[in-house]
Amino acid sequence: MATPGGPRQGNFPPNYNSNALANNMENLQINQSNQQQSGNFGGSAYRPPNATPFGQQPPRFSGSRPGPPPPGVFSGGQAPPSGPAQTTFSPSLVSARSTEPPAVTQPAFFTSRPPPPGASPSSIGGPATSAPSGFGPLPGPFPSSPLTSRPAFPPHMVTSGPASNGSPSFTPVPSQDGPRLPPAISSMPRPLVGPPQPPTMLSSGPSSQTLQMRPSFGARPSGASSAIGQPAPPFSAPPQSMIPPSGSLPFSAPQGMLQSSGSPYGMQTWPPQPQQVAPPPLVSGHMQQPQMFGMPPGPPPLPNQSMALNQTAQSKINPNQIPRLTSSSAVILHETRQGNQANPPPPATSDYIVKDTGNCSPRYMRCTINQIPCTVDLLSTSAMQLALLVQPLALPHPSEEAIQVVDFGENGPVRCSRCKGYINPFMKFIDQGKRFICNFCGFTDETPRDYHCNLGPDGRRRDADERPELCRGTVDFVASKEYMVRDPMPAVFFFLIDVSMNAIQTGATAAACSAINQVIADLPEGPRTMVGIATFDSTIHFYNLKRALQQPLMLIVPDVQDVYTPLHSDVVVPLSECRQHLEILLESLPTMFQNNRTADSAFGAAIKAAFLAMKSTGGKLLVFQSVLPSIGIGSLSTREAEGRTNVSAGEKQAHKLLQPADKSLKTMAIEFAEYQVSVDLFITTQTYVDITSLSVFPRTTGGQVYYYYPFSALSDPAKLYNDLRWNVTRPQGFEAVMRVRCSQGIQVQEYSGNFCKRIPTDVDLPAIDCDKAIMVTLKHDDKLQEGSECAFQSALLYTSIYGQRRIRVSTLSLPRTSILSNLFRSADMDAQFSCILKQAANEIPSAPLTQVRDQATNVCVNILYSYRKFCSTVSSAGQLILPEALKLLPLYILALLKSSGLRSDGRIDDKSFWINYVSPLPTPLVIPLVYPRMIAIHDLDEKESDDSIIPTPIPLSSENITVEGVYLLENGEECLIYAGDSVQPNVIQKLFGISAVAEISNQFVMQQQDNPLSKKVNAIINEIRGQRCSYLRLRLCRKGDPSGMAFFSYMVEDKIGSMPSYVEYLIHIHRQIQNKMP
Amino acid sequence: MSEFQDLESQDSVRMPWNVLPGTKAEAANCLIPISAIYTPLKPLPSTTPLLPYSPLRCRNCRSVINPFSIVDFSSINKIWICSFCLNRNHFPPHYQSISETSLPAELFPQYTTIEYETSAPNEKVQSGSGNVFLLVVDTCVIEEELGFLKSALLQVLGMVAENCLVGLITFGTYVHVHELGFGQISKVHVFKGTKEVTKDQLLEQMGFFAKRPRPSTGVIAGVRDGLSQESISRFLLPASDCEFVLNSILEELQKDPWPVPSDQRAARCTGTALSLAAHLLGVCVPGSGARIMAFLGGPSTEGSGAIVSKNLSEPLRSHKDLDKDSAPQYHKSVKFYEGLSKQLVHQGHVIDVFACALDQVGVAELKVAVEKTGGLVVLAESFGHSVFKESLKRVFLCDDHDLMLSSNGIFEINCSKDIKIQGIIGPCASLEKKGPLSSETVIGQGNTTAWKLCGLDKTTSLCLIFDIIKKESPDVIAQAANNQFYFQFLTYYQHGSGQMRLRATTISRRWVAGPGSKEDIISGFDQEAAAVVMARQVSFKMETEAEFDPIRWLDKSLIHICSRFGEYQKDSPSSFSLSPRLSIFPQFVFHLRRSQFVQVCNYCLCFPFAASVFEKELCHQQRRREVFNNSPDETAYFRMILNRENVANSVVMIQPSLISYSFHSGPEPALLDVTSIVADKILLLDSYFTIVVFHGSTIAQWRKAGYHEQPEHQAFAHLLQAPGDDADAIISERFPVPRLVICDQHGSQARFLLAKLNPSTTYNSDAPAAPGGDILFTDDVSFEVFLDHLQRLAVQ
Repeated sequence: MATPGGPRQGNFPPNYNSNALANNMENLQINQSNQQQSGNFGGSAYRPPNATPFGQQPPRFSGSRPGPPPPGVFSGGQAPPSGPAQTTFSPSLVSARSTEPPAVTQPAFFTSRPPPPGASPSSIGGPATSAPSGFGPLPGPFPSSPLTSRPAFPPHMVTSGPASNGSPSFTPVPSQDGPRLPPAISSMPRPLVGPPQPPTMLSSGPSSQTLQMRPSFGARPSGASSAIGQPAPPFSAPPQSMIPPSGSLPFSAPQGMLQSSGSPYGMQTWPPQPQQVAPPPLVSGHMQQPQMFGMPPGPPPLPNQSMALNQTAQSKINPNQIPRLTSSSAVILHETRQGNQANPPPPATSDYIVKDTGNCSPRYMRCTINQIPCTVDLLSTSAMQLALLVQPLALPHPSEEAIQVVDFGENGPVRCSRCKGYINPFMKFIDQGKRFICNFCGFTDETPRDYHCNLGPDGRRRDADERPELCRGTVDFVASKEYMVRDPMPAVFFFLIDVSMNAIQTGATAAACSAINQVIADLPEGPRTMVGIATFDSTIHFYNLKRALQQPLMLIVPDVQDVYTPLHSDVVVPLSECRQHLEILLESLPTMFQNNRTADSAFGAAIKAAFLAMKSTGGKLLVFQSVLPSIGIGSLSTREAEGRTNVSAGEKQAHKLLQPADKSLKTMAIEFAEYQVSVDLFITTQTYVDITSLSVFPRTTGGQVYYYYPFSALSDPAKLYNDLRWNVTRPQGFEAVMRVRCSQGIQVQEYSGNFCKRIPTDVDLPAIDCDKAIMVTLKHDDKLQEGSECAFQSALLYTSIYGQRRIRVSTLSLPRTSILSNLFRSADMDAQFSCILKQAANEIPSAPLTQVRDQATNVCVNILYSYRKFCSTVSSAGQLILPEALKLLPLYILALLKSSGLRSDGRIDDKSFWINYVSPLPTPLVIPLVYPRMIAIHDLDEKESDDSIIPTPIPLSSENITVEGVYLLENGEECLIYAGDSVQPNVIQKLFGISAVAEISNQFVMQQQDNPLSKKVNAIINEIRGQRCSYLRLRLCRKGDPSGMAFFSYMVEDKIGSMPSYVEYLIHIHRQIQNKMP
Repeated sequence: MSEFQDLESQDSVRMPWNVLPGTKAEAANCLIPISAIYTPLKPLPSTTPLLPYSPLRCRNCRSVINPFSIVDFSSINKIWICSFCLNRNHFPPHYQSISETSLPAELFPQYTTIEYETSAPNEKVQSGSGNVFLLVVDTCVIEEELGFLKSALLQVLGMVAENCLVGLITFGTYVHVHELGFGQISKVHVFKGTKEVTKDQLLEQMGFFAKRPRPSTGVIAGVRDGLSQESISRFLLPASDCEFVLNSILEELQKDPWPVPSDQRAARCTGTALSLAAHLLGVCVPGSGARIMAFLGGPSTEGSGAIVSKNLSEPLRSHKDLDKDSAPQYHKSVKFYEGLSKQLVHQGHVIDVFACALDQVGVAELKVAVEKTGGLVVLAESFGHSVFKESLKRVFLCDDHDLMLSSNGIFEINCSKDIKIQGIIGPCASLEKKGPLSSETVIGQGNTTAWKLCGLDKTTSLCLIFDIIKKESPDVIAQAANNQFYFQFLTYYQHGSGQMRLRATTISRRWVAGPGSKEDIISGFDQEAAAVVMARQVSFKMETEAEFDPIRWLDKSLIHICSRFGEYQKDSPSSFSLSPRLSIFPQFVFHLRRSQFVQVCNYCLCFPFAASVFEKELCHQQRRREVFNNSPDETAYFRMILNRENVANSVVMIQPSLISYSFHSGPEPALLDVTSIVADKILLLDSYFTIVVFHGSTIAQWRKAGYHEQPEHQAFAHLLQAPGDDADAIISERFPVPRLVICDQHGSQARFLLAKLNPSTTYNSDAPAAPGGDILFTDDVSFEVFLDHLQRLAVQ
């Protein structure tokens, strides 16, 4: 489940029951559990609905990415050059996501839940995973916590959607209206009803499970909580009751539950909110929080709390009832504003279609909290982060309206003369339209004469609805001359290929050449597309492609200390003039260097030389590197090995290996950025290459690192080709500059992502594409006045691949609040977690791992503590109470702790790659990264019913893995297929075309077989590829060998090594919170 | 004079003094040094055998046995006495059969010059490699020029002998080293023009050690030191193997693509390219003959060896700049080429320069490298010019006019103990092998008794300058018994066939001393050789001595010689007469003063001594001589040729020959005087670098009218034809190929002739020109005036 965007699947419910938890929890004594159990069941039942909501989420993204689907989607067929096999899959189509997750594998629950309204609660696939290693070490954090032995874990978050909380999803997609009013939620109702209390959440769990928590643990926080919640009785009933107001489903019934929000999940918090009401509506939450902050008026606003874990414990935690991701396959229709109120966005991972009604689509910009705290104190009390996740060129859903292009002619777009904010729907025109007030700085500007328009009776300009810039959250402005330092640059693609001995012998060079050769067909036609190519070993070889003669000319630059480009022109030439030469060259390169015995690689020099060749235009530099750079400028040493032999230096220094070895590379990279050269690295290696140092280039220039380790000439070329193809064909911009502006009182604190920053206010992006997100953290510099809204605007000035200069402006206007519970209610789980993840990744190179892990857990604890202390009704101390919106936080944090970046074992390069991968990672891919999606594929034949392509995900717990099963697990980057020991031979035969798992080679290449099962699996894989915009490297895992270990290391809900299981972790969190309570 | 030519044809030696003044003081009094112009590879008469064995050498002084050695047949173990150190040497066993009637060839009196074929001193020459040609081609030239150059090269490559290795470097802003041995694709190593690369870096960067570990110590050189033949043959290939590749590269060769702003010169890194070429040869074929052939189309502006900045506002250096020391890059550049020449000499490699541009290309700076390595130099205005094209062809030609290019020579001198060697002016480099024979006084390449001749051919002539150190002693005259000086010149070289050979020339000259020796000395005076030695000396001094006034030096020397050897009564100019042995020497000096070797700048051509003494009326005004106003490049070029040519050719350079053709008589030599111009005659002027066929005005009219095409005027056709044929004959034997100018009287091209003529009739002469004759518009003094003054001064 995790897979998609996180929230989906309803599975959770099921999960609750999980025994595992129960067992673990035993120690904990959760009172409620028992009682609740009953409830739980009920709950569970209800949940389904809830679940559904979640469910929705799925993949939409993928869908969105239309054509692009990375892999050779279409082309795919042929495409995958080398790798025949994959081909099949490759074609991922976008479309998919919409479908719902078919039946839920999950337990009965669903069944019971009829309601699963719109969204079928698809399954959440979260299998339980054990977190790999990892935990052991950190005792620290949790120490106190009773958690079982393993105390500390690096905080990872596991995301699975547990509880009901809110994933925003309104399941009911259909009802668009719904959102607005609670009523709308109507859809929800059903669910509501069902699930009475169990507030979706955990609570239910308890019931079933009997977790008895031992005191020690105290409450398991989150997940458990619900279940566990207070003593049984209390829980179920109570909580919900409370909730009712909020509309948490459970209650919903009761109350009315208004909005669907109820649906636990997502509740769209907002819906309710519309007005001040907010509180109530917002939260589906059950309990009231009342305490502290001013609660909203009337209804007790309860935020959602999810579960309460009782510590008390007697009860056991029913693992099936702890919060997990639910997925639903239904498409959500989302209007960005309703009733002149910002509408909280659906989960990033769900499948939704946005209608831009004033605010920008959450795809482009998403805030971690959908209401802006008026004071810094309020924010710090909540312990949450305030940040924007901006993905300016994100792929829209195919069914969404295209972004409109607005041309203001020579004068350029209308802007505030003081802060330079761009005109947007929230600028208020006054004085007959003669003047307008900037929604950022508050300055009153004169309306330009030719932009003047009278106001209507409602105070809006009469033409507001005709002008996209006045009614849409996102528009593209045509940039006038003023925005150009020079003519828009051509699209330049420079390929730089390692041909040193190693690269040749492993087949990496051949793979790269073949991939490039196929990709040039996909480059835009026309004179504006320029290409260049160079190869390197211990020297650099350029090629003059523009010659009358029969063959290209190779120009060798032998000096790798002081490089230069050997030709003035003709190294980078229009594609149309050299296509033939290029093809011939690419075909002959591998044989040409066949006998190359040069083991050295002058990466730094080569990249510098290529840069010099492109300096006059800028462009994309695509580097295919296979070994550690060993010669010339920027050469590196095998630090990893040195580090290993130097163990005595201690773990303390371990993170130093994650800092670039050489400052000169950074200096070079900044120069590249200055000249608009963006570097993408394709690392096809079988050894350590010091990604940390190499990745300085992509990180600084808006590029990306692709990592093929260990490179296999058999199975990797197809992915290489598809990655390359997507890289060059996806929507992207060049020579870009981005700035985010905020309303008075808030300012940008820091940008984070892959870019170069030369002045504090802007980020320079030699290239930006649809897959890159930038995190913008915000800070208060003043107290905000309540009442009005707070606006954020990201403006990206870029040159399209066709040479147009555009400014993409996205504006998001959010309400302000001074009520703490509103913050919890309006928290955006996915955005919050993205923020935590990225910050952790940024920390890794500069702090000891244990510290980073502790920090992650602390973030979780602090947030939950704040909620518990200020927003929840007093309840038994044994309860772990989770805000509905953040009920998955503990799971995600746990998963984060178990991710390869935060594990204490593992190769340096893997860690470094992980850090790089995370840096520009868009929100929809964040959740799958830590909480992958797992589905069973051995029984696809048997489940025909559903029309969704991708079956319901399974929670990431090894309990869900059977020896007869074949499972597919994907995290957006790679795809593991695990076959149990006793799979039926005919299934093996059908899937792999061979008779026994043992016969499958290590370098396995999946081929489509001629039978329905295999075709289905292929269809699923292609669907996933489409969703992820990634080809997903396929690996076959078998029990007993390292690949099997790798697979099980994804079972983040398991106890792995010293890392706690999910239930244990909940208990640990709970303990921590309790310790903090006065 | 013919006796001197006979001597020359036997031993290839010309000496100004064939009877030597026997003491230091007397020698000094002769002004022209004791010297010899020696042409080591002058073809021997076909009767001279090539001896297939190594020569016998004196155990003491290492000189080679020769006809002057006294052989004692009487003793049991036959003995020969070295003529230089008088050491007695035993013959080795295989000589035991010799007798007075059965002598080995080297003892035949007529074989004072003979060749031995020896095994190579170091090693057998690599099989199959005759010579190595590394072409270094300038691409910073306009398309048209590049086209000419390409076609010339393509034509010539077909002529390269199969066993020769060929390599190619092109350059402009960057240096491109072409890897000819890479089959699949044209491959080029590109080096930055501004950066000097060391040999070690080159080894590293060009992957010579890619396939085997680099030796930790030791000089890296060729196959012997660990380079694989394979890695060498990437760059240097037998001509037959790389013909196709080379042709296609040349055909596609493009003008240097880097943009040149309109106010700048092209970035041309000649020095870096040559240095790389030297490294490449040093790495691949050290110690065996190889030539770097540089084709230059303009001045070097980048990297080491640049002669001018890129900025067009900075003009190229002129002689004036050099005199005033205001050519900022000159010395740096010369220093760079000196370093390069040292390296090349060490490696035994040659630089040839083909400079073809209207502009100067830096021959003046390159001179040191070319001269020390014995390279060829050709200067032309364009790659399309026949001077260049024909000369280039000649280099590769294999026939009678073949240059007999040889390489890797070592030249050694032995001589009698009273003589020492000051040095050599000519294309060679000192090996710094100082010995008892080296004089304290040094001129040219001195301080040694051995020299390196990296490249030499059949005309290469060295000017050896000796020093008599015998002090005057009362009984010198009595020593008539042993009044012979001996000289032995030994030349080891790699013949064009790849064999190593040794040529030994041993000569003997009588010396005289004391009163009464004047007549003897005069009788041995070789005026031509003397003029040539003076020419080499004066140009050497002009280059090396600051503030040197060549005109004054020449005049003083001439006056001194005339005073010393002329017959006259003191202070009576009319009584002055010179022996026939000396009679035309003043004329040579007169023309030498006017020649391109001396007239490099705007010197006043008046008599300096006259001007400074009393004949002020002759110095009317400052005069500018446009024709002779040569650039430093041209001057360097002329001098390099002068320094490598034999006496006969050098004399032509100093005093051109003039032949007149008319209906009345056959071709006859004419006075090099403006009065030789006659309307109905054709003149053929050979000034060595230029051959002028000059039609008198009547002839020109007839020719224009096309009479020679009419059958009835066949005689005229023959007349017209004759000078052309003679010119072709000259051209076919000469290298560099001279420029042929065919002109008519009063035509603009006629200046090539007029400039060389004695201005006996000028615009301000009293006597009008003869009808059909011509006058010169010059203020230069005529030979008559010159002689007049000479007589007056000589008798003082």
